[in-house]
Amino acid sequence: MGRVEDSLVVCGQCGLAHRWQPLQQASQARCTRCDAVLGRAHRLSIQGILALTVAAAAAFLIAIHAPLMSLSLRGGAETATLPEAISFAWRDDQQLVAILAGITALLAPAAFIGLRLYVLIPLAVGNKPPGFAWCVRALHQAARWNMVEVFTIGVLLSLVRLAGLADTTPGPGLFALGAMTVLFAAIESAGLKHLWWQVR
Amino acid sequence: MTTPVDDASGAYLGCESCGLVSRDVTGDDPALVQHCPRCGHVLHGTKPFSLQRTWACIVAAAVLYIPANTLPVMETTSALQHDEHTLLGGIHELWLDGSWGLAIIVFIASIAVPVLKIAVLALLAWTVRFKPDWRRLERARLYRLIETVGHWSMLDVYVVVLLAATVRFGPLASVNAGTGLLSFAAVVVLTLLATWSFDPRLIWRDPPASQNRRDGRRLA
Repeated sequence: MGRVEDSLVVCGQCGLAHRWQPLQQASQARCTRCDAVLGRAHRLSIQGILALTVAAAAAFLIAIHAPLMSLSLRGGAETATLPEAISFAWRDDQQLVAILAGITALLAPAAFIGLRLYVLIPLAVGNKPPGFAWCVRALHQAARWNMVEVFTIGVLLSLVRLAGLADTTPGPGLFALGAMTVLFAAIESAGLKHLWWQVR
Repeated sequence: MTTPVDDASGAYLGCESCGLVSRDVTGDDPALVQHCPRCGHVLHGTKPFSLQRTWACIVAAAVLYIPANTLPVMETTSALQHDEHTLLGGIHELWLDGSWGLAIIVFIASIAVPVLKIAVLALLAWTVRFKPDWRRLERARLYRLIETVGHWSMLDVYVVVLLAATVRFGPLASVNAGTGLLSFAAVVVLTLLATWSFDPRLIWRDPPASQNRRDGRRLA
């Protein structure tokens, strides 16, 4: 096993090692070779990220239960929630597309929030939850596959495209998705690797 | 703020999961596998089979890009007619309707981004082998660009799924997903996988033969 170098940070993009110095507030360090961001000074404490994650969880629950948009045409009206839209694609013989949409718009965001809550709540009171290493790796994957921001724009785009055809109204689910997009960006900017600094 | 360590290129490995830096003890022996002492994640000098995987995904994506564009991604039925829309056809209709802004957004998300990803990854994978010295910083930035915009090509897939789920008034008006949608979704996933398979550290890696040239440049 290799010797551990505590004061070093390796650029994830090009592999160059840097000696780490504490950053000033609201500044970021960049790789001297490839200019990738090495790290940011964290303005958020564990409690701060936990608060944002709880807010994102609330927004997520609204987003999957409330209709994203409703459409009325000559007396008939249709609404769709996020799980309904995905299950409709499944029944419409588009199973693979439904699976992909389900992973990127439903499962990955759920894991993004759920695993963070599982990890952050014990960390906030000073304990390390069982399976911590696995959770952080799974969170990296959840962040990769999470496409809530694209889905939100997709709903907006569908609304605009339908506006000429029929009476369309944005539903509460769309606003919840918008809130999730902003909250996810804030949570992600706090980073994942630094969660390990809390357990030492 | 931070100062680079004069590393004998690849002497240190950073853990992708927890960020801890370890000294590389495997050298370049592919049979040895090193794990992060803190979190147990596998440490790689470069991702295994990075170029092979990248090429496989790019080629598959390029092939599937043909049916994704020629087959209809969406079918609409109204009281008067039944229409099939391809990706480009849909953008063209938006443009004719006067929704130029929307047409541009959809064009960037479903045409420009996938093409850009395939072209850039092919360029990066090719230059790693044949032109390793060429414009390294720009290539590193290109990789970060396609890493950032990668998700956005899913936009049209979501729009079709949402339209199909809300416009269901039977023969009066209904929208269904077309056969091309699956190919397009596959292109999106394959380009994502290709982006993740490519290892940007390869951009900075020198083939053994050009060792002298690199040293020359460092002094300059």
